[in-house]
Amino acid sequence: MMTERFTVPAKLKTTGFALLIIGLLTLIAGGITLLGSANEIDHSRFWVSLLHNSVFFLFICVASIFIQAAASLAQGGWILAYKRIPEAIGANVWIFGIIALAVLFAIVFGAADHNGHNPIYHWTHPGDDKILQGKSAFLNPGMFVGFSVVAVVLWSWFGIKFRQRSIAQETAPKNSTKIYWGVIALSGAFLFVYALTMMSTIPWFWIMSIDAHWFSTLFSWYVFASAFVSGISLILLWVIYLKGKNALKLVTKEHIHDLGKFMFAFSIFWTYLWFSQFMLIWYGNIPEETTYFKIRMQGPYSFFFYANIIINLVLPIFILMSRPSKRNYFTLVFIAFMIIFGHWIDFYMMINPSPMQENWFLNWFELGVPFFFVGILILAVSNTLSKASLITENHPLLKETLVHIS
Amino acid sequence: MHLKYESFVREPLITGDKTYAQVTEDICKPIEQKPSKLWYVGFVLSLLFLGFGVFSVFWEVYWGLGTWGINRTVGWGWDITNFVWWVGIGHAGTLISAILLLFRQGWRTGVNRAAEAMTIFAVMCAGQFPIFHMGRVWNAFYVLPLPNTRGPLWPNFNSALLWDVFAISTYFTVSLLFWYSGLVPDFATIRDRAKTKLRKRLYGLASFGWTGTAKNWQRFEALSLVLAGLSTPLVLSVHTIVSFDFATSVIPGWHATIFPPYFVAGAVFSGFAMVQTLLILVRKIYKMEDYITLGHIEAMNKVIVLTGSIVGVAYLTELFMAWYSQVHFEQEAFKYRVFGPYWWAYWAMMTCNVVSPQFFWFKKLRRNIVFTFILSIVVNIGMWFERFVIIVTTLANDFLPSSWTYYSPTWPELGFYLGTFGLFFTCFFLFSKYFPVIAIAEIKFTLKVSGDKYKRDMQRLDAMTTEEFLEEANHAH
Repeated sequence: MMTERFTVPAKLKTTGFALLIIGLLTLIAGGITLLGSANEIDHSRFWVSLLHNSVFFLFICVASIFIQAAASLAQGGWILAYKRIPEAIGANVWIFGIIALAVLFAIVFGAADHNGHNPIYHWTHPGDDKILQGKSAFLNPGMFVGFSVVAVVLWSWFGIKFRQRSIAQETAPKNSTKIYWGVIALSGAFLFVYALTMMSTIPWFWIMSIDAHWFSTLFSWYVFASAFVSGISLILLWVIYLKGKNALKLVTKEHIHDLGKFMFAFSIFWTYLWFSQFMLIWYGNIPEETTYFKIRMQGPYSFFFYANIIINLVLPIFILMSRPSKRNYFTLVFIAFMIIFGHWIDFYMMINPSPMQENWFLNWFELGVPFFFVGILILAVSNTLSKASLITENHPLLKETLVHIS
Repeated sequence: MHLKYESFVREPLITGDKTYAQVTEDICKPIEQKPSKLWYVGFVLSLLFLGFGVFSVFWEVYWGLGTWGINRTVGWGWDITNFVWWVGIGHAGTLISAILLLFRQGWRTGVNRAAEAMTIFAVMCAGQFPIFHMGRVWNAFYVLPLPNTRGPLWPNFNSALLWDVFAISTYFTVSLLFWYSGLVPDFATIRDRAKTKLRKRLYGLASFGWTGTAKNWQRFEALSLVLAGLSTPLVLSVHTIVSFDFATSVIPGWHATIFPPYFVAGAVFSGFAMVQTLLILVRKIYKMEDYITLGHIEAMNKVIVLTGSIVGVAYLTELFMAWYSQVHFEQEAFKYRVFGPYWWAYWAMMTCNVVSPQFFWFKKLRRNIVFTFILSIVVNIGMWFERFVIIVTTLANDFLPSSWTYYSPTWPELGFYLGTFGLFFTCFFLFSKYFPVIAIAEIKFTLKVSGDKYKRDMQRLDAMTTEEFLEEANHAH
């Protein structure tokens, strides 16, 4: 039986803790200075940044569960050389889920300005706003909590379950396919859950409702695309990190090339959805829809608006177009960091403008908070990786991945 | 690593212990024989439909658009519905030939040739509708941005309708090239086997002097990859732009940002349904069960359940957003869709497109040929209704209640639609008689990996441990 154990290098642990502490210190400092500030915009700044990061990191981790489900259903053999990585990320979704729920509920129930209105989710107090009153059958704290909790619980459960089933396959009778087909059925169920949460309701509740009057039918699919391409980049970073530590001996350039293709293709897919949403609203020029882009494109955020396109479309297209660049570790690591940062900016652009208006910040607090999440990610995922073999031994498709050509 | 290996969990895609020679023999047989009686019956029937279509169109051109049921309120009726429907059907061919090529999906080789042919014929049918909807069809060339003597009369480059002209003509050209380039080695095979002079001459011309040298193959592979790379964005762009025809407007029910991806998913959905309809017939009539196996049918049914569910999520999203937007007109538009005078069309769409494909979650039904055949037709009916719902029910209740109306097609519209079926099947019958319905060269790529004969020999590899296998793979030259 082929196994490969990974022990977390001390350096990685130290880095993880250091980042966690930097993030934690930022949060504490922010809690004191921003929440203690007399200026209400500082309170919003605190919550908006937490919301931005907790939702972003949760979504890119959930993408790892999705990729497992998609690969299982498509019976893809290519992923097996490094499947333990999305499994380890997916199995830690619950941590980010709890953080996100805590932040979301704190905002919905806690955040209030001097009038008692919610500065981020305006719909919590519709007042005499006819539109918000009309939406209140959906946009109300009860529904918000219900959908959020169910989504996070189901995602977390699937994330843990997929990893368990995968590890159970190692000790199953040789070439047994019982678990294999079971996981396919489970993946179908996950896709159903995913369609009703990530591809529809959850981004409406958590993000779109920040611009409480605005609506776009495409919105959730767009959020999905953004999270998915970042999620793939995250997997790639782990693969290359482990490769650099002489682990993951089954992974060849062919597998890395596949991930590069995914980053390339889904950067274009993201742009396709970005363009579909933007162009149709621009072309229709209906005030209740263009209001969303007004502040983002022509207002104080215009720099980020264009940076978003350059980082997430122009760079990946040109850098990843050629075959050699998709097989070069350095290029891939660089572009993966770019993509994750770019989509972090994309989420920033979805979440910040409405509550912050022209008072935007991208300063010590906004840049410090993500370290908290990155620290957790490093510590949790590396710890999970060390708990099981890195090789999905005895998986019916494992041998295909050994002779895989991208 | 030069080890030919495929896991035992995958079922063989070519059954009947075929060898390379047998593959050529089986696929060329229908071309080299006289067609069956059934073929003649089908062909003549298609010609009759085509004839009726030509007559209907002639009638419309001669007497004018007034012979159609469209009116000032419902300016787009069956014509544009049929146009979108046919274009959508075309998408599966390109998806199979291009996107599945990029994804290295071996099973595509069993079905790609017929699917690509279907694409081309479907786009040909689609193109008729906007052209004859122009009424004064002799002015149709006005849509082309040609330098002209008409003064400042140029097409409106800001219009999605014009983008459609470019998108569809480009798509048609690239699809045709892709299809034809794949046919070249197969034509050469038929040429080399030809017993009559005329056949040798004609297939010789069609095969561009293909000799099957290594250089020939190298160029062939390179071209396939380039064309696949070109077709992939093209196939997405075509239905995206078709969706722009509606979504760039400010008409409630049409102006939705989800339209582009959802139209593409719907197009793939209907296209795969049509591929199923055709291939289930082809495999039966030409006895191709060894090449178009239950595994192929199941794989396509999986695509159908996936795309059908994507479309379902989009329908529900639209419906929800109409309410959520709190825009009065959006809400009314959807109320009329669901409960208005065309309620039957909406519910037909919902049942056929969202509910019916869910049966394909069950493996037994995915592998049931009769069920698949019936469902593929149901899906195509549903996808026709989708376009009808989007176009007609939206237009019938416009902003001014005094101009509300009910639209029904007249016989020339019906005849036109039937005529495109005639065109489609006439082309398809000719194709299936004179062209290899399965890509001979391409299916041979998969034979030694997925052929049942070769898969049996892989049991030795499956029995190995991972270490042994890796050892062998690294030393196989």
